This record gives sequence, structure tokens and C-alpha cells, in this order.
Amino acid sequence: MRFVSFRPASCAIAAVALLFAATAPSQAQTRAETLRYVTGASVNTLDPNIPGATRESFALSMSTYDRLVAFGRKQLNGKWVFDLDKITGELAESYDVSPDGLKITFRLRKDAKFQDGSPVTAEDVKWSLDRCVTAPILGKAQLLTGSLTSADQFKVIDPLTIEVTLPKPDKLALPNLATVYPMIINSKVAKAHATTDDPWATAWLKEHTAGSGAYVVESFKPGEQVILKRDEAWNRGSPQKPAFFKRVIVQSVPEPATRANLVERGDADIVIDLQASDVQSLEAKGKLKVISTPQYNAITYVSMNNQIPPFDNVNVRRAIAFALPYDDMFKAALFGRGAPLFGATWPDGKPLNGTYPFQQPVKIDLDKAREYLKAAGLPEGFSTTFSFNVGQASTAEPMAALVKESLGKIGIKVDIQKLPDAQMSTQINEKKLPFFTEGIVAWLPSTDYFYRNFYTGNQRWNYSSTNNSELAAIAQEARFEPDKAKYEEDGRKLNAMHADLMPQIMLWQPNQDAVMVPSIEGYTYEFHRQVDYRDVSRK
Amino acid sequence: MMTGLGSTMVRAGRRLLSSLPALFGVLVFTFLLMRVLPGDPAVFFASGPNAGKEEIEQIRKQMGLDRSVPEQLVYYLSDIGHGNLGRSMMTGQPVLKDLRERLPASLELTFTALLIALVAAVPLGVLAALRPGSIVDHGVRLFCALGVCVPTFVSGLLLIYVFYYLLGLAPDPTGRIDVFTSLPPQRTGFLSIDFLLGGDIDGWWAACKQLILPAVSMALFVIAPLARITRASMLVSLGSDFVRTARSVGLSWRKVVVTYALRNAILPVITIAGIVFSTMLGANVLVEKVFSWPGVASYALDALLSSDYAPVQGFVLLMASLFVLVNLAVDICYGIADPRVSIE
Repeated sequence: MRFVSFRPASCAIAAVALLFAATAPSQAQTRAETLRYVTGASVNTLDPNIPGATRESFALSMSTYDRLVAFGRKQLNGKWVFDLDKITGELAESYDVSPDGLKITFRLRKDAKFQDGSPVTAEDVKWSLDRCVTAPILGKAQLLTGSLTSADQFKVIDPLTIEVTLPKPDKLALPNLATVYPMIINSKVAKAHATTDDPWATAWLKEHTAGSGAYVVESFKPGEQVILKRDEAWNRGSPQKPAFFKRVIVQSVPEPATRANLVERGDADIVIDLQASDVQSLEAKGKLKVISTPQYNAITYVSMNNQIPPFDNVNVRRAIAFALPYDDMFKAALFGRGAPLFGATWPDGKPLNGTYPFQQPVKIDLDKAREYLKAAGLPEGFSTTFSFNVGQASTAEPMAALVKESLGKIGIKVDIQKLPDAQMSTQINEKKLPFFTEGIVAWLPSTDYFYRNFYTGNQRWNYSSTNNSELAAIAQEARFEPDKAKYEEDGRKLNAMHADLMPQIMLWQPNQDAVMVPSIEGYTYEFHRQVDYRDVSRK
Repeated sequence: MMTGLGSTMVRAGRRLLSSLPALFGVLVFTFLLMRVLPGDPAVFFASGPNAGKEEIEQIRKQMGLDRSVPEQLVYYLSDIGHGNLGRSMMTGQPVLKDLRERLPASLELTFTALLIALVAAVPLGVLAALRPGSIVDHGVRLFCALGVCVPTFVSGLLLIYVFYYLLGLAPDPTGRIDVFTSLPPQRTGFLSIDFLLGGDIDGWWAACKQLILPAVSMALFVIAPLARITRASMLVSLGSDFVRTARSVGLSWRKVVVTYALRNAILPVITIAGIVFSTMLGANVLVEKVFSWPGVASYALDALLSSDYAPVQGFVLLMASLFVLVNLAVDICYGIADPRVSIE
């Protein structure tokens, strides 16, 4: 045992400082050509179709694989967002929809090549789409919403032409082909790695890519980072040339404060999942570019299980809707960063339009709430629990406290229940939670889609467990309604029912706050709510 | 001498064998505990925007949860017997591969932190013991109290704020190595050693810079128990007869304090260091999170939150085995520090 001389703590810290100062930060020369994107989540598979794939995996696959078509973009209040109504070709040079809406014919680009140099053929497209509707993967449930259910629907006409047949003229068929899942895979490579147990090569594609996308995966460490290299031959972007950045680093940084520091110091280029308070202070400092887009395909709810007493009584639900302190909740949870879905005035008591989500005609009015409670036969109030998941704690916790306080004033005693994420999703799925807050997202936000998926059936996403045959029938009918005016009318009917039955309360659409160094341009809010690396460039 | 070493080895082997039933108990207990927790991993992972009943069933099947619990346990045990810890839903990788990649990161961090802590705590404790009740003693006590009071993530965030954000001296706190530095060929998994083996001094320095802040924030937290124990046992040792004798025969200050007093006082410090090490390895999750350190603890926490059974079970098994090994190492260190102690 040798004696080690004692150093006071201050000396030790100074020594640490000196050590750091001794070497200048080593910056690679290609820094300007590299996009460093930091996120609290992580990529867990290279194939977004694998059950359990994270949102970051979805975003990654947009850059590593191409699809037949892609969404255009439009400006909404001065910010770029994806445009559901403008579908442009990606691997398809052009497409035609037959007059009866039952056939869509895609002509492929002649110059499109996979990353291994082989040409993209209609055979590859068919194999990939077949995989999406046949293999036990996530794409199946998604494509179902666009009436794409069987391999028979995809027909190769010639090496560069493929035809998709629909049983009904479904408005969502084409947009579905632009979503994450129906990516086009190099079928020769994938088939070489298929086994008899796994004919669609899901195991291999989870850790390898075989696509024609703008970026090639250089290294993939699940849960830590992915490094992408630009494919110089890729030309499917809007100006027909490769993506801007030569290299993209997608790195997981779990601590939100650290992510904020990184982007503020310019070490990271862009981040989209900061805490609302950090975003606000960074915006106030004015050094960084902050683009806040209300997530117009996502909604945060206060949900009530319409099958569990006392929430099976419509007047109880109405009482709650008039007893929530909306403005305070909006400020406390999101610092007002989002689009509110409350506080509208409907002059003649009818919906203003037929789009969902809509601003509801509710605001805090405790007298009205008490009247509704009396009408429900519960003038003394009742006790219940209000649940939220740990992952949402930073927004849901302050909100829950306000809900508890306000409902207490009309005699409803609320116990706040904070559940681990897995437990929360289990209980929602089993329909055991009476009263809780959760959010939803729809990739293809059309009114009928929202009502069909979030207000019907005994399934997880029907948070309110609504079981209303009239509502279900109108939504189902609207799905295949070709006449725009009639579709709008159906939407108004549904919205009026929603306001009357109050199955659950829409609170707001939170902002997607993209914070980036000032040199980054072109950021677009995408349907998958992640950064599409192909969109951005450096000034 | 050889027989001494040989018999130590035999004893160590016997100790190892006798810990097997405990490990088995831990295995079964964790397995059952995970099944009792109310979250259903299948529902959690079937969270795509359209995932319905079919997807949930499919994941349940994939995770083997469609079988009865005793059946699952038998399969699990037979898998363990074949060296297969299952597959993580979170990262999509085999748990064994994940742990193998992440354990060196945690070990490197913990060893460094323990080293820093020992280097700081032992002299502090000795100093405090030499002048009990003095300003120095109180100063050490205050420093230790502060170290324990401030949770590691607070000290971690503070260090980041000062050294990275304000001063710009430290590299960005994102993992073991700067993203722009290329990795050395993997040999031990300890980056600081691999870089040296690869002869890449710049890389070694880059890895060390990443390591300093997290290691210091972890060390701050464990300096207190180590320093307090050193002080207490030094006090006993300094007050004993052999030190008085050594002093009276006029031995040098250094010889008295270091050779006689400290050597005799070090046994409890080793014990505590062993315990501290095991706890640090599992409990450094906050530091790992704050510094985006790709270690086993943050991996296990993420798995626990999403009810991902296999990684949690793998982690607990790993920790239990490490605990056994650390205790064994501590016992062997005892023998070296004090030949009178045997580990029978």
C-alpha cells in the first residue's frame, strides 16, 4: 500500500479543468456536411414493419427505403407540413387512377437503382407489397385501412409497370402506399436470406437493409446510434438530386436537459423532443431556430370509459367537460405550446365544419357542471381515479393536479394514479381505466378515419369504449363517400354527435417543437412526427 | 507459498459452488416477479398506430407468453442452460449480446469512479483521523455530507453545466466516445484500454475525457462511506498499542501512519469498497442516463419500464453473478491485506 498524497477538492477540479483545456476539441472536417440528430428515443430495428418498432425506426426507414409514392408538402401558417392531398411519385415516375377508382397503375422510374446497383423492377415492388399484406408484420393492419388486404391485388404488367386493384374506390389506398410500411425491398437480396420458417426475411431485414433509399446504413447500434451515409446515385428528391447531408448521425441522448445543451452549443444540429420549458427558454434566447407546428394528426384527450359507471351516464361526462380548467391545464402542461381544442362558440349550436378534430364548445363553467351532475342523479359527486403514464409525466402530472383540484369543487373526489407505460397500455387495452389522459396519432388524418379507429369497436384505440351503432354506421358510410359535399355533411353529423354525447374530451394538439441551429433549413413536419433527414439542408 | 495459493483457489472454488443455489433462487424469483408485475409487454410493444388484437397475440407468441407460467419457467431455465438469455423487444437484439456490449461500459465507468473515490476518500479519512475534532476533520465531514446529499444526477447535471455548457472544456456528454472518433478494434471492451492496445493516443484521450465527468459525479456520491469508514478504523488503529510502541521507538511519521496504522485499518475499507462497487454497478442508472452512457443499468431500467422481461431477468442474473465474484475478490483481498484471515 503506497501513500497517496492528499489533494484538496478544489485542486482536483482545477486539474480536471486543465486536463480538458490541454487538448482543443477535435472537430472532423466534414462537420458541415454531417447532420447530427439527437433524440430521447432510439432506433431498434432497420425494418419498421417489425412489431415493437419505435418511431425513430419509422423515420430511419424513410431515408433508407423508397416507397412507390410520397406525400407532398404545403405551408400551414408559414410552416412546412406534409400534404395528405398531394401525392407525388417516389419510385413511381407517374401513376394513373382509373375513372371508377378501382385500379391504380404505377409506372416505375427507369433510372431507379437499389443501393447494391441492381435496378428496381415491378417484381421487387410486388414482392414488397405482398410481404406487407401477407407476412405477420405491422404493415398488414395499416394497409387494411386502405382496402389493401391480399397479394392478388398487386399485378405485374411489365418490368416497369405494376397495377393495384381495389375492391371499392378507397380514398385511402393511395395515401397508404406513401406511409412507412409499404417500403420497396430488393427482393433478390431479401429472398436470398429468407428461410422456410421466415419466408419474408423478417429476421434478416431487422438488422440489414436492402433498399433504394437516399441513405445507406453505415453502422447500427440498437439503442445507441445509427450512422448513415448518402447514396450518391439517389435522385428521388424533389430537385432530382441526392440528399444534402453526406452523413447523418442519429444518436440517443436520454436526458432532455442534455439534448437542450447539445443543440444550444451547436454540437447537435436538430432535436424535436425537448421539454416545453426548455423550448421556451431557448426560443427566448433567440440564438436557435425553433419551428413549432401543432401536430395536426395527433390529439391529447381526457378520456372516460363510457361503459364504466358513473361515466356511462352522459350527464356525468358533460359535467366533467364543463368542470375542467382548460386554460390553466394548457398553460401548466404545455406552456401554451399547441393548438387548443376547447373554448369554441357554436352560434346556432351546430358544428362549424365537418373536420375532425374540431374545437369543442366547452369551457369551465362550474354551475353548469353541477347542474349536469344533478341531472345525472349524483348531486353529491362521487370518487374516481385519474390515470396517466410515467412517460407523459412532465405534461400529465401538472394537468392531473389541476383536474383533481377543479373536480373537487363540484364534489368529485379524484385519486391521481401514475402508471408505468406498459401497465397503462395494458389497462387501457383491457378497458379497466375509468378516467385517464392519453394521446392518439393518425398517419392519415381524415374525419372518417378518426371516427372509425378511435370511436368504434372493442379495441385499444377506442379509449372511451364508445359503442354507438349510429356513429359507427355514419363513419363507415363516409369512408367510401366520393361526393365531397356529402362527406362534409357526414362529418358535421359525427361532430354534432361527439359534442352531444361527449364520449371523451379533446384537449389540444401539442406542438412539435423542432429546435435547430440557425443554419439548418427545410425542416418539414411529417406524418410520422419525426425528422425526415432528406428534407433538411445546411445553408 | 504455492500450497497457500493452491488452497486459496480451492477455497475460492468451493465458495463459488456454494453460491450456485443462491443464483438459482435469484433466477426463479426474478422470473416470477416479472410475471406478477401488472404490465403486459405485448400490449406495450404493439403500439404502432394500427396495432390491434392480432399484433398483440403475435408479440405474445413471439415472447413465449402464450404458454402457462410453469411452462415458460421450464423453457427459460433450459434456455439459460444453453447460454441463451432470450431476446430483448426493446433493442431487438439477443440479451446476451446487449449485455456483453454494455457491461464493459458500466464496468469501465464504475472502476474509474471507484478508483477516484478511493484515491480521494482514503487520504481524507486518514487526515480526519489524524486530527479528530479539528477543522480538517469537520471539513472532511462537511464534504462527505455534501457528497451524499447531492444525488448523482444533480451533481452530474451540474458538472455538465459548468464544464460543458459554461466553460466548454468537457466534450459533449453523449456516451463513451465522441461520435466523430472512430472506434479501436474491440479487445477488452474497455475503450481506454483498447485505444492504448491499438496505439491510438488521441483516441485514448478522447475516451478518457468522456469518462472523467460521469466518473467524478459517481465518485462524489461514494466518497462519504469510504472516507467515514477509513476515519473510524484509522482512529481505532492509531489508538492501539502497536502504534504507540512504533511511535515510542521513534519510527518516522510516514512509517507509523502508512505501514502500521493504515495497513491494519484497511480491512473494513476493502469490505465497504466491495459493497460500494456492487451497488454502484446497479445504481449508477442516473449517471448513465444523464451522460447517455450505454451501460447495463440504464438498459435494465428502460426494459423494466416497458416490461421487457428478458433483459430485466438477464440483468438481475448478471448482477447476482457479479456480486458473488466481487465478494470472492474481496475475500481474497482480505487474505493479501491480512494473512491471518482465511476465507473458510
